[in-house]
Amino acid sequence: MIHDRVGRVLGSEHTTTAEFRVVLEEEEYLQLDDLIVVRTEVPKVGEVRTYGVITEAEAVYEGAQYESDTHRIAELGIMPAAKVRTARVAVTRVDPEVWVSADPGEEVARATGEERRKALYADEMERPLPIGLGRDGAPVHVDLDFFDGRKGGHMSISGISGVATKTSFALFFLRMLTSVPDVVGSGAANLRVLVFNVKGEDLLWLDRSNRLFDAHEGAREAWSALGVDPAPFPSVRFWAPPRRQSGDVVVPDTGGRFDGVQVFSWTPRAFIEQDLLEFCFTDASDAKNQIPFIRERVQLQLKRWAVGVDGMPGAVALRDPSQAPDGHGWSRDDRVPAAQADVVIADLPSMVRALEIHLEPDDGSEADPAWTARVMPGTIAAFLRRLHAASARLGHLVRADADRRIDRGAANVTVVAIQSLHEQAQRFVVGALLRETFKEKEDTGQRLPLSVIVLDELNKYAPRDGTGPLKDMLIDIAQRGRSLGVLLVGAQQTASRVAPEVLENAAIRVTGRLDSAEAERAEYGWMLPSTRSRARLLKPGTMVVSQPAIPVPLVVTFPFPPWATRKEEVADAGDDPFAGLT
Amino acid sequence: MARIFVEGWSPEYGAPLDPDEALAPAEGSVDTSVETEDWIPRDGVDDGVPRIAFVDGVRRVDARLTLDDPSGPVAGICGTFAVGAAVWDREACRSSIAHERIGRWAVLAGGRSEIFPVVALEPPYDTTTTPDTDPAGLIRTLHTKMRTAEGHVATAAATDSFVIADGPLNELAPVPAVGSIKSHRVTYLPPERNTVVAALGPRQRTPLFTISEYRRYSWYVRLADVRGGHAWSGIVRCEASGQLPAAEVIRLADRTAAVLPLVASESHLDPRAPQNLVPIAALERQLRHRMGEPGLVYRALREAVHERMAS
Repeated sequence: MIHDRVGRVLGSEHTTTAEFRVVLEEEEYLQLDDLIVVRTEVPKVGEVRTYGVITEAEAVYEGAQYESDTHRIAELGIMPAAKVRTARVAVTRVDPEVWVSADPGEEVARATGEERRKALYADEMERPLPIGLGRDGAPVHVDLDFFDGRKGGHMSISGISGVATKTSFALFFLRMLTSVPDVVGSGAANLRVLVFNVKGEDLLWLDRSNRLFDAHEGAREAWSALGVDPAPFPSVRFWAPPRRQSGDVVVPDTGGRFDGVQVFSWTPRAFIEQDLLEFCFTDASDAKNQIPFIRERVQLQLKRWAVGVDGMPGAVALRDPSQAPDGHGWSRDDRVPAAQADVVIADLPSMVRALEIHLEPDDGSEADPAWTARVMPGTIAAFLRRLHAASARLGHLVRADADRRIDRGAANVTVVAIQSLHEQAQRFVVGALLRETFKEKEDTGQRLPLSVIVLDELNKYAPRDGTGPLKDMLIDIAQRGRSLGVLLVGAQQTASRVAPEVLENAAIRVTGRLDSAEAERAEYGWMLPSTRSRARLLKPGTMVVSQPAIPVPLVVTFPFPPWATRKEEVADAGDDPFAGLT
Repeated sequence: MARIFVEGWSPEYGAPLDPDEALAPAEGSVDTSVETEDWIPRDGVDDGVPRIAFVDGVRRVDARLTLDDPSGPVAGICGTFAVGAAVWDREACRSSIAHERIGRWAVLAGGRSEIFPVVALEPPYDTTTTPDTDPAGLIRTLHTKMRTAEGHVATAAATDSFVIADGPLNELAPVPAVGSIKSHRVTYLPPERNTVVAALGPRQRTPLFTISEYRRYSWYVRLADVRGGHAWSGIVRCEASGQLPAAEVIRLADRTAAVLPLVASESHLDPRAPQNLVPIAALERQLRHRMGEPGLVYRALREAVHERMAS
């Protein structure tokens, strides 16, 4: 007799190794996501423990034949019947691993303590990272080995927008990741996280305390159950693009916060050296025609022809490399006087002007085939037209006046605010930073320190259909990033609109509330049918988590954040004497 | 020791018999003046009795037996019955099953005193015998065992409940128990009194009459108006022990007229509506279930008989 028995294995239908049902005791209950254990005596093996999670709870009047019998039983009481409550169990584990079904009639008990850990495989996880709280208020873990690239990598988060679940969960996860150095292990201190703020200014307050935190009942207890001090992110840097038309004064293009936000931009030289022209052509239609041919040729030519300009550190001029001192190529240190340059490239419009000289000569003569890759004149025109458009949309991100490279090494978490940018400019920034991050790791070949990239609206950057440099790079990161320590935390409203190569490589999958039609798609095949039907009803703060170490998806909750997510939530300095000192 | 065989053919074969027919009192000396000479329909009175126990039993022939005797084959049956009560707690608006009992009997014809082998069933088979040799007699013996058990249940339930039994009363102890009879094969009343039965409205009863030979009080109750039914559809006949004082029986009769219509069944759910009472139908379902799966019982029987032959 087990003292915490809640019921017995139902014997009127077959039990299987995947599923069985429990008939509950009169005074007990089981709710969804509760964890249970059954001990079965197996001949020649001995005791086998079957662990499971409740996926459905049911009740019926046994003896009622017709629906109207319900009145006779419950209201009039003239019909004898027994109320029978049952719960459906999805098996998570059999220990020892002898795959037999639980015996009918066996006692079912709640899994607590060590048995709870076993039910959730926490005993087998070498590096268990809390990823939320179970229904019982105790932490549920993921095996970090499946995130940081040792056995698997990447995380995919889905869920409808509006309930702010995806970003909140991603940040919660980051907070956990940056707070448990003993689990993350070597390189924890150097962990680098790159987060893009794509909507609102939700992420620009990560370093400030949330004044609503204490009003949230249970939030403090939940954080302490997770073993993390409820505090804002200690090490964050914020970056924003320069505001347009602000003249020589460079101020960040943000609405609510200016202090502590640094402006980022690329110099024309960096633009050329990092092949950023590629990310000016990220629209699906840009991959058609022969535009990629001419774009690649122009990138190549720009690299060969670009030479520094005296007295203007970031600017370049275009000069034939045969005029270089050594006769065949410009070195980084070569400078030409500004007066000698046809056009001093100090920003994107001037670069377009410089390119026009080579691609569409004023005198009407034929353009130099070394620049045009012999594409049709119409293609050249289309290329320049797109370049003009790009220059208008993201021209302000390229400035020669100072080096405003985003220093991802300055803090654990780097937030790049791109919400104010045109979509094309957003893709440009994301592309440029992902390339930089990935290339850096490729060059070192070291997995550590880990580099985590959080990208919402992944469907914009790696759509299911079409091709583009950004999508190619995200697929590359998804496929190779794991071994290089570049880990993608991708979020999207609908996983069905994201390139499958990116999704499939995510070892850890998470969803919040889903649209009911979306929940039926194959992309969510990892959820149990019962979990799918619940996904429509999940509240903010509740997520379904699937990880390779546990064969069934688990429902977890994560607590209210101690950092502000809106300007209105920021605690006054009076509330928190340490605000702003981080 | 003679050898016993379990026959292969269906146990219920050739037994379309309702032994209650034999138990039902035949026409006797009926006295219609016991309550009143004023024979008009009387309204039921619900005195709010807190607990009503509906008592019933079901039985089944599990197998037919043949005793291989030098003097010729001797017939027998194995049968199971289940009895119990559905107790309606009217204050709590809840019904529950109580006093369940299962009995298993091997009945041998011709007064044979063989002991049936032990069968791996709970409860096991008891052996009994009957001087009859016809198959109907065997079933009647089983039926009587069941009726006796029903009587015990009724007596036990009567200690804290008002008992309504399905069918005629078997044990006519002076307890507040009423038998409710669904079919009307025998008419007890003189023709002019029968018109009163036809005139009954729902929740009304006839005045009491006595059937002296059987020492019972009896009365008719209309449970419901049956659409498209004849004058006697929706009528049940009730009876109570003749040992009870008349005043007590009048109270019981008033009560049944008021209470039975509350538990009458609906015609779209039960072909025997409204006479087949809802608690009785549910109780019978439960009791049938408790007798055990017939296929398994039959298999256990064959195994037991086979083992004895082998030993």
